[in-house]
Amino acid sequence: MNEENFSPQQSLQVIQSMISKTRQNFHDNSKYFLLWGWLATIAISGQFVLKVIFHYEKFFQVWFILFIGIALSNYWMIKDGKKEKVKTYVGESMSNLWLGMAISFFVLSMLFVKMGWYYCYPFFIMMYGLGTFVSGKILQFTPFVIGGILAWVLSIVSAWFDFDYQMLFAVAALLISYIIPAHLLRLHQQNQKSAYGR
Amino acid sequence: MDFKELDPILHSQLRLAVISLLIGVKEAEFTFIREKTNATAGNLSVQINKLKEVGYIEVIKQFKDNYPQTICKITSKGISAFESYVTALQSYLPK
Repeated sequence: MNEENFSPQQSLQVIQSMISKTRQNFHDNSKYFLLWGWLATIAISGQFVLKVIFHYEKFFQVWFILFIGIALSNYWMIKDGKKEKVKTYVGESMSNLWLGMAISFFVLSMLFVKMGWYYCYPFFIMMYGLGTFVSGKILQFTPFVIGGILAWVLSIVSAWFDFDYQMLFAVAALLISYIIPAHLLRLHQQNQKSAYGR
Repeated sequence: MDFKELDPILHSQLRLAVISLLIGVKEAEFTFIREKTNATAGNLSVQINKLKEVGYIEVIKQFKDNYPQTICKITSKGISAFESYVTALQSYLPK
């Protein structure tokens, strides 16, 4: 960089150009939403089919599919962490939010073990809404914000239905708040990457 | 018109570029800063040391996967200096 004849206008250009360069540092957040959104959708749909259609007693075994998510997420986090050259506040906030969400899901599950699972889905759907609403605000990506609000609405409505039908509300909430916005985010990030040639 | 004095530490293209990059992130690796500023490693090292000496940035040297890694982080003193610099800069720009 040239240090000679450095004018205030050039100072301003340097500041603007550097700030825009940090903004171009994209993280592929969509893959985690897609992985967990699809896995939970498969698990709940599978549970619905096993319980309601086949009357299989051990329908809950379908949730073991989530171990694939834990293994794959950890693998991605380690791989991405090795490549990571910069830590942004957005990235940190997202990591902390979803760590807190994962712990909250675990705590809720432990509470339901004690209290019974009959009304678990309205609470789980409410949690989906919280995670995606806050993620949407952090990433400034409206489809997640809308998805989060709709999940909260579904959470309230689902409480008036039986457990079996609450599962269908959960599948709808996952589609609206995770899967559709995550596909839109992926498209948005790919467009931004090609616009900046990265 | 009243012109405010510009901090000589920040009124240098490369040092200002480094601070402007660090103001928007939590921390960044030396290689990331070099990539974004297009500076040579030698020149960047010198300027980073100057920023560190005045307390505008914190430099952490560590090992990651057996490779040396230099991480830079803006300090609260650096943030204040950058804010004062931008305020002073405004007095030079046409309104």
